[in-house]
Amino acid sequence: MGTIRYIFRRLGYGLILMVGVVVLNFLLIHAAPGDPAEVIAGEMGGITEQMMADIRARYGLDRPLPVQLGIYLANIARFDLGMSYYFDRPVSQLIGQRIWPTVLLVLTAQVIAIFLGVVMGVLASRRPNGPFSGFVSVFSTVGYAAPVFWTGLMLIILFSVIVPMFPVEGMSSARFRGGGFAYALNVAHHLVLPATTLAIIFLAQYARLSRASMIEVLGADYVRTARAKGLGEGPVIFRHALRNAVLPILTVAGIQFGNLISGALLVETVFNWPGMGRLAFDSVLRRDYPTLLGVLFCASGVVVLANLVTDLSYRLADPRIRTGGR
Amino acid sequence: MAKTDTIPEAVSPLREAWGQFLKNRPAVFGLALLSVIVGLVLYGHFLHDADPYDIVWMPLTPPGDEAGIWFGTDFLGRDMMTGLLKGGGPTLLVGLSAALITVVIGILMGALAGYFGGWVDDLLMRLTEFFQVLPALLFAMVLVTLFSPSLWTVAFAIGIVSWPQTARLTRAEFLRIRELEYVTAARSIGAGNGRIIARVILPNALPPLIVSATLTIGVAILFEAGLSFLGLGDPNTMSWGLMIGQNRNYILDAWWPVTLPGLAIFLTVFAVSLVGDGLNDAFNPKLRSR
Amino acid sequence: MPLEKTDALMSLRDLKVEFDTRHGRVTALSGISLDVKPGETLGIVGESGCGKSITALAMMGLVPNPPGHVTGGSIHFQGEDITRARARRMRKLRGGEIAMIFQEPMTSLNPVFTVGDQITEAILLHQDVSRTQAEKQVVELLATVGIPEPAKRAQSYPHQLSGGMRQRVMIAMAISCRPKLLIADEPTTALDVTVQAQIFDLMRDIQREFGVAIVLITHDMGAIAEMTDRVAVMYAGRIIEQGTSDQILDNPLHPYTRGLIGCIPVLGREAAGAEALPPLAEIPGIVPPLHLLGEGCAFAERCQLADDHCRAQRPALEIPALQNGGHPVACHHAGITTRAELPA
Repeated sequence: MGTIRYIFRRLGYGLILMVGVVVLNFLLIHAAPGDPAEVIAGEMGGITEQMMADIRARYGLDRPLPVQLGIYLANIARFDLGMSYYFDRPVSQLIGQRIWPTVLLVLTAQVIAIFLGVVMGVLASRRPNGPFSGFVSVFSTVGYAAPVFWTGLMLIILFSVIVPMFPVEGMSSARFRGGGFAYALNVAHHLVLPATTLAIIFLAQYARLSRASMIEVLGADYVRTARAKGLGEGPVIFRHALRNAVLPILTVAGIQFGNLISGALLVETVFNWPGMGRLAFDSVLRRDYPTLLGVLFCASGVVVLANLVTDLSYRLADPRIRTGGR
Repeated sequence: MAKTDTIPEAVSPLREAWGQFLKNRPAVFGLALLSVIVGLVLYGHFLHDADPYDIVWMPLTPPGDEAGIWFGTDFLGRDMMTGLLKGGGPTLLVGLSAALITVVIGILMGALAGYFGGWVDDLLMRLTEFFQVLPALLFAMVLVTLFSPSLWTVAFAIGIVSWPQTARLTRAEFLRIRELEYVTAARSIGAGNGRIIARVILPNALPPLIVSATLTIGVAILFEAGLSFLGLGDPNTMSWGLMIGQNRNYILDAWWPVTLPGLAIFLTVFAVSLVGDGLNDAFNPKLRSR
Repeated sequence: MPLEKTDALMSLRDLKVEFDTRHGRVTALSGISLDVKPGETLGIVGESGCGKSITALAMMGLVPNPPGHVTGGSIHFQGEDITRARARRMRKLRGGEIAMIFQEPMTSLNPVFTVGDQITEAILLHQDVSRTQAEKQVVELLATVGIPEPAKRAQSYPHQLSGGMRQRVMIAMAISCRPKLLIADEPTTALDVTVQAQIFDLMRDIQREFGVAIVLITHDMGAIAEMTDRVAVMYAGRIIEQGTSDQILDNPLHPYTRGLIGCIPVLGREAAGAEALPPLAEIPGIVPPLHLLGEGCAFAERCQLADDHCRAQRPALEIPALQNGGHPVACHHAGITTRAELPA
């Protein structure tokens, strides 16, 4: 099957999943205790009869359920995620602002975690019973067991009280006026702690996985063949072994993307990072359901896209999938 | 050595695995640590019984500054020690019940998909994929917010978002085992589907499922801590995550109200992981030499 | 160690290889001496676990370390002791002068690279040619080993080829740099019988064309009869009988060798000219675990002829005093076939 056709098929499937998320949102609004209009309006207080009537008309709440679902789906197809009555702005606008900081945080953490995790795994696999290998095993259990928000708070104590090196709040300095490159540097400086915090849990898992995967691959017959050709250790490990060892890591990286977003939610709350997680937290506090459901919808969309990218890179990395073999 | 003619006593696989487990030092350490934690959570009130909401001293008293307040006080002047002892209960209770819900849903879905295959498998696997697309914590937040937080909504929300992994594992095991001879043998003597699933395949799929269930407890505890940290736990009970969430604004003045409950969560999950890894090694003797 | 003057391409002298295991240090090879002469085919035969694959890996300088160590003896290749060679020098020899093909063609090729890339890589390592020239050589090599549509096949990934084709690719890779010595470790075991014959034909053709010496490692006496000039029989990390293929097949002196020949299926035995042998028999038991070897003959536990002497003292590899001549064998009862013939 051609790669283009494959992409379209996967996109179609992703679209079906997203429709599923919308239906789920719709069901949640109606399953929640109380009048759906009140759920949509949220507990903002001082809501007028006029606003309630608007909501009812807008969502067709006096019509049969299937029609309501149709209206809801049609709205979302037009990227109309409803109105945040607390922020008094359309949800899509709110999310449009907040999605990029989250994507920046999540991608940075994922790249750090995969890169360092693979490096640690490769080093550990050189001596499966050596001290570094032992360290990787302990580190991966420790990194996995520490709650991510707590790790973040510990880093804040370390880097603001003990060695003040990195800012611990926000995405850029409040009075920062520069633009362009200076602004990017300022953001990067703010990104260090949140991204490190988020990376640690996943780094632990990738290190453990790549250690196991490398140990297995280094025992494979084709690695022996590579050595029998007269290749040195460098090409044997980095060309022949690693190319095969990253395949299971890619699979897990795809599966972990949802968890990465969950982790980002907590990290954004800890570091006041102005992303979707922080937005979700604020909308929970204000019972701002349209925003909360909008965030759920968009975050799921990010996961669907990330899975698509993972599948594609897996296809590129493993010719057995690409050419339809075993 | 005296020669005996007796056949060596048959050892069940579970008992053999247990023997292997006891030889694994980190795993035994994990089990001991876990026992201490659970012991303190269950019987801590014999050591020190008080209401965790009582204000006992000046706010943010550092640990050891005042006799009897060994772990200091929080931002309201409540005793950290009481909070630590009482706060573990909800965390462990929610963790365990969420893990139970996860495992029950996961095994049910996975078993049906793996055993029947065909359209049942397709349908259930699509459902599994759907739930894997939803960011778990966010979805749990939505559920808890919409249906008002209590210990049970939290446990249920965690269970609802965590089952797909167990389902996939169960399905893989069922796909493998249903092709084996003893399943055919059971079918040939007229055993029905329900009986084959529950009495023939499931017992043989148990080892990896036990390991996964153990690790699920750890994940569920972290989950509960995360929700409580965000203020989405049961508002009427003290829990470790809640203590961290409430005290985090004072972190620059006082490290202990945030550090200590986090350490408690960390040690609990760490102990559970060590036990899980130990079980995994015990059930997979082939991997042990690594 | 003074080395007697030989015309050998490769000489193993008293080679000792040990492994660290859970049972402590175990001797996998305890003093192997062998010569491979230019252009000949030497067979090394034995059951699995007898040390024949370790011997092959030692010849390549590829004993897995850890847990393995070459702890004694020497391997001279064209006069140079490769057990003492530097890693750099060894890499130059490996794939260049000494090449190897393995038992499992299904797993011996890297699944993520095309077969053409994998052969090109070997050529670029050892020859001073451009990538384009190397790729041209690859197509020629694939044609040489009998792969149809070689230019197209070079673009294939291993999983797109059958087992026999993959073994041909392995052979193409092995001969890509015109080695002087080709080590083949059970090259046909994983293949269908008809494909086995084709691969052996190919190896003979290659030998004729390139004059390469072949070390064929196998458990199959049929393959020995078909392919080799000389044979070494191994058991529990030692050579227990050695001679020309005719000597070994027509007049096996060690009970173990007789057992192995007994395992040739009847059709093959006629081809091997071994009709006079006792009927097909199995060798009872298995090769003893290396860490449980005692002082006596390692084969004693499985041998019909074993007596207290065999269990107490290990026989040395030497030419026995027999009237119909002989070749080196390590057996106290060399040449005796039944218990009745044993001296009282």
